[in-house]
This record gives sequence, C-alpha cells and structure tokens, in this order.
Amino acid sequence: MPQLRKDPITNRWVIVNVENPRTADSFPSISHTLTSRACPFCPGNESMTPPEIFVLGRKGGPAHASSWQVRVVPNKFPALRIEEGTDKYAIGVYDKIGGFGAHEVIVEDPDHLKGMADLSIEQMELVVKAYRERCLDLRKDPRFKYILIFKNYGQLAGASLEHPHSQLIALPVVPSRVMGEVKGAQKHFELTDRCIFCDMLDQERAKQALTIVEHKGFVALAPFVSRFPFETWILPKRHEANFDATSDDAIKPLAEILKATLSKIKKSLKDPSYNLMIHTLPIHGKEFESFHWHIEIIPHLTQVAGFEWGTGFYVNPTPPEVAAETLRTAKA
Amino acid sequence: MPELRRDPVVGYWTIVSTERSRRPVEYSKKEITEERSCPFCEGREAETTGEVYAVRKTGTAADSSGWLVRALASKMPILSPESPFDRYGEGIYDLMEGVGKHELIIESPRHDHSLDELSVADIEKVIQVYVQRLNELEKDPRFKYTLLFKNHGLISGSARDIIRHTRSQLIATPITPKRVKEELESTRSYFDRHDRCVFCDIIRQEAKDGSRIVAQNASFFAFCPFASRSPFEIWILPKKHSADFGKLPGQDFPAIASLLKECLTKIRALLNDPPYNMILHTAPYRHSDKWTYWRTVEEDYHWYLQISPRLTRDAGFEWGTGIYINPTPPEDAAQLLRETEAV
Repeated sequence: MPQLRKDPITNRWVIVNVENPRTADSFPSISHTLTSRACPFCPGNESMTPPEIFVLGRKGGPAHASSWQVRVVPNKFPALRIEEGTDKYAIGVYDKIGGFGAHEVIVEDPDHLKGMADLSIEQMELVVKAYRERCLDLRKDPRFKYILIFKNYGQLAGASLEHPHSQLIALPVVPSRVMGEVKGAQKHFELTDRCIFCDMLDQERAKQALTIVEHKGFVALAPFVSRFPFETWILPKRHEANFDATSDDAIKPLAEILKATLSKIKKSLKDPSYNLMIHTLPIHGKEFESFHWHIEIIPHLTQVAGFEWGTGFYVNPTPPEVAAETLRTAKA
Repeated sequence: MPELRRDPVVGYWTIVSTERSRRPVEYSKKEITEERSCPFCEGREAETTGEVYAVRKTGTAADSSGWLVRALASKMPILSPESPFDRYGEGIYDLMEGVGKHELIIESPRHDHSLDELSVADIEKVIQVYVQRLNELEKDPRFKYTLLFKNHGLISGSARDIIRHTRSQLIATPITPKRVKEELESTRSYFDRHDRCVFCDIIRQEAKDGSRIVAQNASFFAFCPFASRSPFEIWILPKKHSADFGKLPGQDFPAIASLLKECLTKIRALLNDPPYNMILHTAPYRHSDKWTYWRTVEEDYHWYLQISPRLTRDAGFEWGTGIYINPTPPEDAAQLLRETEAV
C-alpha cells in the first residue's frame, strides 16, 4: 500500500511506494558522453568568458594567468543581469520587475573531464570556499534578497556545458518556495521553541534509518519525506541559519562529506544526472533564524509529470529508508 | 531584457527573456522510444478489466469492444481505494495511508491517434467522460479533490512502461493538494480585495490587450499567460464565470472540444508534436457541511485547462526557488500560435 508522508517544513505531501521499492539498479543509466571541444572554462581559454569575478589558487605574474584552481565568471547567457533596473510596476492585474540580478558560474576544476565527485578534497575545499566568498560579497549589495547556489550535472539535470561547474543566481525577490520553507520552519519554532531541522536530526539520531554518512559536524541523510528517489540532504549538526556563516574550520569537513556523498551517489546509481542546491536564509531574513541551512541533492531518475505539476504531490518509488541503506553501504 | 513577471493567480514569479526570444525550432525534439504491445487497444478489453464508465455503441457490453471512450481503474495505481483511511504521526512526521482512486480515460479505441487528431465530435465524448468521472468520484466522501491530467509524450514518475495510446488520468485524493490549496487561497484573497474573480479580470484584460490571445469562440478563451512558466503554455477558460468543471453543461461540450482541438493542433504543428502536460484546474469537492472552508469557491474560483509543452528541463534553479526561466515571451508564443494554422 502506498503511504502518504507529510513534510513538516513545507506541509508538502509525498506518496511513497513502501510496498515495491524501486532499487538503485532498476533505473536506466544514461552515460555522459564527454567531448573535448573548445571549452570556455578550460585553462588557456580565459578570454572566452566575460571578465573574471573571483579566483582561487592562481600564481602571481602575467605568465600564470591559466594557473587558477577555481574560477568564478559571469554567466555569458544570464537569466538576470546586474545592469538591469529593479523598478517594480503593474500592468493592469499583472506585476513586473526589471530583470536585475547576478548570474555567475563557478568553475570547479581546471580539468574538463572531472566530475565533482572526483575532485580531490583540497579542490572541493576551494569550491566550497568560493561558494562562501561569493555569497559574502554579493550580500553587500542591498538590492539582493536571496542567493541560490546550485549545480546541474548531466543532460537530464539541465546542464549545457560539460566542464565541472556550479552556478549562482542572486535575486531581487525572495522566491515563494524559499519563503514557504523558511516560514514553515519559523512556525515550528513558534510552537515549540525548537528548530525543525534540529528535531529531524534528533529523531534520526535515535533511529538511524535514514543516515547516509555522519562526519565531523555534518550529516548526510535521505529525508523522511523525500520527493525523489535517492534525494539526499547534507546538514550541519549544529544549528546555523546561513550557509555563508560556515567557519574556516568547517570547510574541510563539509568538503569531505560532500565528496563522500557524491561518490556514493555516483557509484550506486551509475553516475546519474543530478541537481544540487544550497538552501540558506534569505539575506534580510534576521527574523527567520530558526531556519537551518542545508544542501539538497536530487538525482534525476524519474520524470515529473502532470500529477506532480497539478497537485504539488510527489510520487516517490524508492522509500528513503531503502535509498539510505543503499547509499550508506556504497563505498565512497 | 530579462523581466520578472508575477502570476496574479498564485503569485509565483517567472523570469521571461524578452531580449532574444527562443524560436520553436530551437527546442530540441526528444525521441519517443519503444512501444510495447498495448492493452488499451480495442479488442483487448479482457486485459484491462475494471471499466468504470464508457461511451459505447448501442448494444455493446462493458469490458468488450465497441467503445469510443473508456474509463478504467489503473492497474498500477498511485493511490488505491482499498486502503484504510488511517492517519498517524511518527515523531515530528505525519503519515496517511494512501487512500484514493486512480483512473485512466482511454480517449480513443485506436492506438495511433492523439487527442488533437480526434474529430470534434469524438473529443466531445472525451469531455463528457471527464465530467461524468469527476462528478462520480465526488460522491465518495473520502475524496477532497480529483486531479484530471494528461501526459502526452512523457513518461510519468511512476509508470514503468511506455505506452503511447492516447489517454488522460484522474487521481482522487483524500486531501486538497497543496498547490491547489495555494491557488484557491490566493484567488479568494483577490476576491476579498476586489469583489471580482481574478480570472474574469484576466480575461477582460487579455481580450482588450490582444497580444497573448491564441484562439477563442463564443464560450471559451485561450491565451498564453503573462507569467507563463513553460514556453508556449496555454490556458483555456470559460468566458462566463464558472468554478466547477463538473458543472459544464452538455451544450458547451462542442465549443470546448473544438477550442481544445484547435490549441493542441497548433502546438503540434508549430512545435513538431512536443511532449506536453494538460492539467485541469477546477474547484475542490465541497461535501455539504464538512469542509466549510471552500464555501466561497463558486464566486472566487474559475476553472481552466492548462497546457504546458515540456520543451525545457527544470534544473537546480527552478527546483531551488520555484522561479521558472521562460526563454520565449508569451506574447511571441501567442503570436506564433495565432499564425499557425490548425488544420
């Protein structure tokens, strides 16, 4: 019998197939064919991107322009642009804002053929650091209300370039989905004086059914109300609302657990396409510090169709308990 | 120039690239893969027992040949009616047994026809079955909503087999789904402020503006919404205010059938038969005194059919924010659709 599970944060219901769980090997695998055509993100092609915003690991002197380790550049085809206005106006019943925003690309490694899961720990640390530094810099601009860091890996997940990269979009509005999550957490806090994510971690500590990896202050788990098969979250164990408040000491453990988690997903699901997102507090979100930042990783194994679109109900063929066990036992 | 547009119904934002509008040919076509032997074809009724309703030639019996449109219980239901209606908690989590009903509406006995390729008279019969099933499922007091939808050229989240035979699906749920609730709450709040239905206001404004109209007839109106989330998205609405699709009078069947056919044919011709979802947004069930909170829907809600071609992939940004990036402004989409002949 299918089971309906309600997400305590967003109140979203998910139908979980607890009867005939779909296992990791039942999903078709789609291989990532890599070409080595001229890539704007490869070392030596720096002139093919718009002017660089931020870089890590480059040696000094003009001769070493291509010696960077991580490089952040504006997206050449931005969804939103920094030059646009933030004017808000109405057209009859409709509301409109100018397309102001920032859209950046974080090139994760000089090597075109490396997947994120294959980065060295040192390299992953630089990536996490670049994420944090970009957030800290962008938050200085008072026009921004929210920053999303995300990654589309593989064609099914919407990636258009092969070279390992993440993206960042800074927005002049707080998206309603983010607000829904943040307010859901706030409501729980008002009722209980506790953080819902901390509660989730507490409950999981007792049960241990959903944990994938636990590592120095971080936990990777399959959420009880997973919308997608093998959905995975990484959370700091100690309450922290903002991703960009991650301390220098925490960067290495975070890099390690991220690499371990991505490797397990790659191994168990035959290198699936996936999306990765960092859910963090909106920039001017002081009153919502009951929120708890986390990373969400969503492998693309099924297609979202009419029922999901129409209702916001998700149908998950692999119960998270099954997914967690598969990933827990997979070698990183 | 990219532009953020807000949908006045629910309030979600969409990023519309108005600068360089993506043309229909620039959306790559996905290949439809293998075709299994099909149990939905005429003559194989024995394999799909559980006919719940059908429009049939006179003198033919249930679960036999001779039907034109046939509604069945799904063999792989997402929710099933036999579940006990149990709700419980597990620590901080809430759970419910998966009670509900999942039906398929086979739109034609022929395997190789799509909905838009049926005659208007045959589409009328499909509409008739939609109305009949929605009203029939309403009688079960456990259900609060029935979603009617269609996945064309798409594999749904749960179906493991790819069968192309044209069909729609119905899923009756024991709760009002979150997305439906948000829409209902939002339209009620608009009504509270203006004493008018937001959809009626939209139709009035769109009819006057004209730039986003796709097609219309005396009773129904089709346009590309201002904050379209997917390129070439179309909404079809009744011009006269009406909250509940289940109350659609028989005399309106020909008009909705012909406009639906026209829209789907245009989409096929312009975009080379793309995958699409069609979703019916209609009033929730209002069982006498029980769920009094939807008492006002008759006034403040307005049913519509949403057709969303699936031409782009949702990626991290869309998942993370709920904001969609639409590369073809709806004005351009509507113009192209208007100019496309529906043959």
